[in-house]
Amino acid sequence: MTRILIIEDEADIRRYLRATLTAQDYEVLEAATAKEGMQKLTLNRPDLVLLDLGLPDQDGQDLIRSLREWSQTPVIVLSAREQETDKVEALENGADDYLTKPFAPGELLARIKVALRHAAQAGTEAPKVFERDGLCVDQAARRVTLQGEDLRLTPIEYKLLTTLTDHAGKVLTHLQLLKAVWGRHTTEQSHYLRIHVQHLREKLNDDPLSPRFIFTEPGIGYRFRP
Amino acid sequence: MTADQRPDPDKLLALVSKDRGDGAPDTPRRGRLKIFFGANAGVGKTYAMLSEARRLFAEGRDVVIGVVEHHGRPETLALIDGLPLLPLREVSHRDIRLTEFDIDLALERRPHLILIDEYAHTNAPGSRHPKRWQDVEELLAAGIDVYTTLNVQHLESLNDVVARLTGVWVRETVPDAAFDAADEIALIDLSPDELLKRLAEGKVYVAEGAQTRAADNFFKKANLGRLREIALRRTAERIDAQNDALSAAMGQAESATGDKILVLVGPDALSARLIRHTKRMADRARAAWFALYLHTDRHEALPDKARRRVEHNLRLAEKLGARVVRLNAGRAASAVLTYARQNGFTRLVLGHSPQPWWRALMGGRSLSQKLISQGAGLEITTLSADSAEDKAEADGRTVAQALRPLPYLMAVAATALVTALGLPFRDVVDPDSFIMLYMTAVVAVAARYGIGPAVFTSVLSVLTFNWFYVEPYYSLTFDRVGYAVTFVVMLITSLIVGSLTARLSLHARLARKGEVETRLLYDISRQLGGARDAADIGQVIERHLQTVFEVELGLWYEGQQVAGKAEHDPKELAAVQWVAQNRQMAGRDTDTLPTAQGLYLPVSAEQSVIGVMCLTPTETTRQFSGAELLVFETVATLIAGALQRTRQTALAEATRVESENEKLRNVLLASLSHDLKTPLTVMNGAVGSLLKMRKKLPREAVDELTALWSHLARLQKFVGNLLRMAAITSGQLHLSFEPYLIQEVAGAALNRIEAMRGDRQIRTLISGTLPMVRIDGALIEQVLINLLENAIAHTAEDGQITLSFETDADRVRVRVSDNGPGLRPGEEDRIFDKFYTYGQQISDRQTESSGLGLAICKAIVEAHGGLIYAKTNPLKDGVGGGASFIFTLPVVTSGA
Repeated sequence: MTRILIIEDEADIRRYLRATLTAQDYEVLEAATAKEGMQKLTLNRPDLVLLDLGLPDQDGQDLIRSLREWSQTPVIVLSAREQETDKVEALENGADDYLTKPFAPGELLARIKVALRHAAQAGTEAPKVFERDGLCVDQAARRVTLQGEDLRLTPIEYKLLTTLTDHAGKVLTHLQLLKAVWGRHTTEQSHYLRIHVQHLREKLNDDPLSPRFIFTEPGIGYRFRP
Repeated sequence: MTADQRPDPDKLLALVSKDRGDGAPDTPRRGRLKIFFGANAGVGKTYAMLSEARRLFAEGRDVVIGVVEHHGRPETLALIDGLPLLPLREVSHRDIRLTEFDIDLALERRPHLILIDEYAHTNAPGSRHPKRWQDVEELLAAGIDVYTTLNVQHLESLNDVVARLTGVWVRETVPDAAFDAADEIALIDLSPDELLKRLAEGKVYVAEGAQTRAADNFFKKANLGRLREIALRRTAERIDAQNDALSAAMGQAESATGDKILVLVGPDALSARLIRHTKRMADRARAAWFALYLHTDRHEALPDKARRRVEHNLRLAEKLGARVVRLNAGRAASAVLTYARQNGFTRLVLGHSPQPWWRALMGGRSLSQKLISQGAGLEITTLSADSAEDKAEADGRTVAQALRPLPYLMAVAATALVTALGLPFRDVVDPDSFIMLYMTAVVAVAARYGIGPAVFTSVLSVLTFNWFYVEPYYSLTFDRVGYAVTFVVMLITSLIVGSLTARLSLHARLARKGEVETRLLYDISRQLGGARDAADIGQVIERHLQTVFEVELGLWYEGQQVAGKAEHDPKELAAVQWVAQNRQMAGRDTDTLPTAQGLYLPVSAEQSVIGVMCLTPTETTRQFSGAELLVFETVATLIAGALQRTRQTALAEATRVESENEKLRNVLLASLSHDLKTPLTVMNGAVGSLLKMRKKLPREAVDELTALWSHLARLQKFVGNLLRMAAITSGQLHLSFEPYLIQEVAGAALNRIEAMRGDRQIRTLISGTLPMVRIDGALIEQVLINLLENAIAHTAEDGQITLSFETDADRVRVRVSDNGPGLRPGEEDRIFDKFYTYGQQISDRQTESSGLGLAICKAIVEAHGGLIYAKTNPLKDGVGGGASFIFTLPVVTSGA
């Protein structure tokens, strides 16, 4: 059974999360402080963490950083603030996704599913063929087709597309994408990223106003359709 | 043309813009100056000036007569008639009522062109500037064009030439720079015969005060011819100078001959002649020239009058366009030669005064002789003091010192004292021993009073020694022949010892004085380091200047007086204002407002005046020396630095407080957000879980839950808006601009409102290719969400909403329009106010607008430098209507 750890100081929210998650047959662990959360992380090895950023004893961002030093357990951040910078920071520290309070139960469950699937794939040899809605990305053959027709992508577009499809459903920040496509020490600006995304969208016949594949998260980054 | 001869575009441009009379775009246009120049009174300068002004006036130019001396001549009066006249200012000076040109009125009236007769006129005492040409300068600086008249004898550098020729000294002069700065010179020429004819007809005005003899002399035909020649030549030289400026800009050598001239200036009247001579020399050779003053030991020994003379001479040189150099030197000849050779001078001009016979006898050579013998390779010009006036001034020093009796009285007293001390032992001790006693007196006097009294003491000592100690006593005779030698040796020894001592003590005094100044500046700068505000700075400066220079300090900063006694005299306050505006010194010992009690210096930093410093000597008759002025200027710089620093400290403190406040607001907002959203999240979850069990619940309960669910959604939206508005109004909204395609952001917004759209249709329309915009993506997404929600709230279930985009050169325009009931008249502007809800007529269908959504849109769009507005759609064939909300966003410029 999948085990989820909730690190949240508000008992009422913990109760609500517990109700929602147990109804879906998840096993739920609870922690009210960062310290307690860290203990349960090491002792109980949960499969996923729901983390509130505003903890009384430690900044949630620090907790993500120290967790990522030794574990790849997926982390979904729960944030009360509308500040996009908090989310971007959390994602770049290694969080897998975020939800802004208040959020609907359905949304929460969908995000959990995506995160768990990614974690499962990361453990095994990732399937090299990605298929979604007529789009097929075969990384072994370096071949991309749309409705069966070959797409001619530039190396950058290809790298961009595979980075997105490898993390389909997960938000990738501008910086994460830049680093993945242009390398660790890139000095490129998000401006270039946008131009390449635009070109990629044109080739995928994906209208940014009603996207099928690439979704924009304004102020944060991009998310490929899960 | 070689590379370094290529025209320098900047210099050419500067010339062109000088021609056009406009400078850099940020400096106001400088007025143009035209001088009607003549060789003599009566040639018709004023007449020519007025004629031209009339013509311009007829053409519609805004011409005003500032001041014109018509001397009652009917032709002139006829020309004045019909031109607007500026009223003159009445001044009473020692019971004489005078009228003067009113510069304040002119500046206020601000005509296009003003006529100011008699460029060289001296203003009545108490005027802002002592000279009229300075008034003109201020008018030009204010952007007003000026026409004026000038006779050749009033030109500073030609003043002496004309005086020698005619025997009439003119005190009213205009510096050559003020003449050369004119944009246009019109030479009004009349042949001597014609002029004499006019004179005979009584058409030439001769000043009432002028002596007839002088006037007769002046108007001799030969003189008139010479004057005419001088005027013509001077005008020609000016044209040459203009050509030089042009050729310099074209990359040709500035000086035709490569000459550089150095003139040695001293405290005598001859120096003034030297300076004028050098100016003419330099003009002819088109050479740069420098005036050098040697700051030797002698300078400190000079009487005040001579020192003033030095300052006066140096100012004259500066006025005539020389660069002034002060050189501290021990040995005059070698210092001059070293300086001249190191700085590439080719010519040297100095005065030659005949040596006193005794110095010539002792083999002493004058400075000019030394320079001539040592100055190989330099062209040396010497001028002799020829007039009695020159000599009197040159000897001024000895005369002045002889007038001070105290040192000589003290010399007598010292001699008497040593004589009285020795007398009781006259019979016991060998008389030669007393020579030593006298030597002590000489040294003491030399150390205290300098070389003159020391020499006096030496002679007196020899005589007294002979009188009292050499047999026969009480007579100036002596028995032993050997005493003749003794006297001579005693005299020579005491002279040498005396002069050495005097020089040493002078050096010591100078060193002390220099040390006092250095110490002063050091102390000031050190203590200014601890000053916290302008008042502190004022106190520090006041304390130091008061003791060392015996002056009262006044300091103005940011329009307020921060130090010194409260000043109410309007003249002093006018000086403060003038200095602040003109960035130049004013007040006593300067050319502007010289009758003011204080000397006013600008305190400037980064090329703007930030304060004004005023120094009023406690002793009202005192004049500041050039060296003192230098110290004051340094102090002003120190003050400027300190004021800048305190300003920055205050700024840093304000910033620190601001950031503390911001941190506090941030924490407050975070906890507010947390406290509001936690219960909402919990309620959301609870209702959501309950609704999942709807099949097990009674129908009424499900209805209630559904209502609760929708109200919860509204409450959530409202809280979100409230928090966002709080963030905006508390300055917590930090925009992080990034380039975006607006469609991307719109796509995200459409996705977010998808759930609440219901059956409404949302059409999207893009015209043309949209460029990227520079925005904070999340905030603009919020704007779009708010506008779309607003449109959804104000349209029927089957309503239609159109989201369209268009672009022009530098903006992207986004429009959200609906087919709802539209806006009521007058609502377009108020709709973006906080807590204003529009469309009250449909209140039966409770709107979901909290009255904050649109206010947030406005704040965000405006923070992006965009515009947001609303309007009612025009009806087309009875269909359409509804409201449109439009906002614009700036486009990313290239390279972003």
